[in-house]
Amino acid sequence: MSTATTGSRAESAAQDPDTPAAAPAGRRRVPWARLPGAALIWLFVAFCAFTFLFILLSSLKSSYNVLNHPFRLPTELKFSNWSKAWHDGGFGPAFVNSVLVVVFAAAGTVLLASPAAYVLGRNQNRLSGGVSMYFVLGLGIPMQIIVLPLYSIMAKMHLIDNLAGLIVLYIVVNLPFTVYLLMSFFASLPGELEEAAALDGVGPGMTFWRIMLPLAKGGLMTALTLVAIACWNETFLALMFLQTNDNFTLPLALVNFLTQQQFTGEDFGVMFAGVSIAVLPMLALYAWLGRRITEGLTLGAGK
Amino acid sequence: MTSATLGVRRGRAKGSPLARRRRRVFGPFLAPALILYTIMFMVPTAYSFYASFTSWDGFSNPRWKGTLNYDHLRHDPAFKDAFFNTLKLLFGCGIFLFILSFAFMLMLREMKGRRFIQGFIFLPHIVSGVALAAFWDFLLNHDGMLNKGLHSFGLGPVDWLKPQWQFNAILIAIVWINTGYYVTILMAGVDRIPPYYYEEAKLAGTNSWQRFRHITLPMSWDVIGTAAVLWTIGTVKIFEFILAFSGSQGNLPTTNQWTSAMYVYGETIGGTSPIYDFGRACAGAVVTLVAVVLVVVVLRRVTSRDRLEL
Repeated sequence: MSTATTGSRAESAAQDPDTPAAAPAGRRRVPWARLPGAALIWLFVAFCAFTFLFILLSSLKSSYNVLNHPFRLPTELKFSNWSKAWHDGGFGPAFVNSVLVVVFAAAGTVLLASPAAYVLGRNQNRLSGGVSMYFVLGLGIPMQIIVLPLYSIMAKMHLIDNLAGLIVLYIVVNLPFTVYLLMSFFASLPGELEEAAALDGVGPGMTFWRIMLPLAKGGLMTALTLVAIACWNETFLALMFLQTNDNFTLPLALVNFLTQQQFTGEDFGVMFAGVSIAVLPMLALYAWLGRRITEGLTLGAGK
Repeated sequence: MTSATLGVRRGRAKGSPLARRRRRVFGPFLAPALILYTIMFMVPTAYSFYASFTSWDGFSNPRWKGTLNYDHLRHDPAFKDAFFNTLKLLFGCGIFLFILSFAFMLMLREMKGRRFIQGFIFLPHIVSGVALAAFWDFLLNHDGMLNKGLHSFGLGPVDWLKPQWQFNAILIAIVWINTGYYVTILMAGVDRIPPYYYEEAKLAGTNSWQRFRHITLPMSWDVIGTAAVLWTIGTVKIFEFILAFSGSQGNLPTTNQWTSAMYVYGETIGGTSPIYDFGRACAGAVVTLVAVVLVVVVLRRVTSRDRLEL
């Protein structure tokens, strides 16, 4: 099969669910034969919708109502849950920490990865092939294998319980995927502009900065978004490397809050306000850049 | 470099101004990422292999002790739990997840609004596992939502989280979190099957089952194989959901809920009384990595052989 010639056809078929490609089977069959399957899917969708609606609505209810009338809509909107979570629950400072970590880690990762991905993606030779493989290798190495030597290194550099240290770690662990993602992006760009720039005597650094980077804007945005999501939700490294509440990122603040609740009695309204603070930014990001996120995360799976 | 060699190189296609420029930046552009990645990713990986043969607390120098850590792992109930739970996630959860995702993908292709649905079921994949665990716990708790719902139908409270069931609740949650992701991956693969295969098969008078059996299934082996590799790598990372779901009062979950990542955390700095046994934790991580590599190699062989049978 030659993907080069059929690729565009398959893609255009993919855009439109009603083409024969998207509906290869059973169009003319009795519709109720598919009903159980469709019902199952809608049930799944309903559960996902319920989860997030429940979290958001419960964040505005009193603890008593969350517990005793979980399915009822809030009777009054208790915004005090949010301010309690923000000020007393530790979610406010954690939100600030998370934003700091995410911004610097995402920017740092893309800043380091894009020049590397550019030279690897556009040079097709044995050396660049080997180096690419070396980066791809990192995709298969689980975090727990690198975390303990890193702990020792960071301890020696006094970077335990330090947000800057965590940012460096996040950059490192996101490098393999980001290089891999951007590499295929740079490889897919047309070469004419680059050649023209070379003939005009534009230096290679300038060519990259002024010509190739703007062309790759879509890929860079995807990379930034994906690293940001990964860092926003990351818990394992944060737990290993952060120790004091002042430095906690949102997932740790949530773990901490859940733990304390078990000692001090539970306020479910405040708990779900905290959960919302961790979840809402991701929902908003997904609503804004949904396609980009799903495509980026599933990229390469078909290769 | 003499001018003679320069002339020769310029004569070749490789010596075009563009290629030469690119070669000049190759090193400087690559170096920062490559150096950081090597020092803080690959060297630690190698060091873990070394440290797994030592007695090490993470602070003082490791002392060589041969294969003692590995001998110990074989008799360590916590490690056995962690390892078999990881396998349970990998295979038990994995088979269920792939059947569900593949079935959803096939059905979605024929449904209206499939883009919308696909986008929607992807959601759990991009939010924090800790947040989902908080919700999941509230759902299944003794005073939780599910029991409240059952109560209104006059059914008694069920202890969903009793020790024998708790890990199953985790398995179901993990399937729920990942289904949307794998539906999307499989969908992208099946979308790539050229439409005229189906058109010609239809002209040949095949029914939809035959088209599924002889076109869709064999042509998606590739993407199923890749997705299975992603899942294998993904399962060993599962950590925070279990920690937040099963941990209580600052203690780690009981070891029968542990996974490979939890073992590394629990044997070193985790919990209310940390153990700091870095050497043994490294050995545990190495065993996990080796298992992952083995599974990936087998998966690659199986899926590529089946593709050849086409």
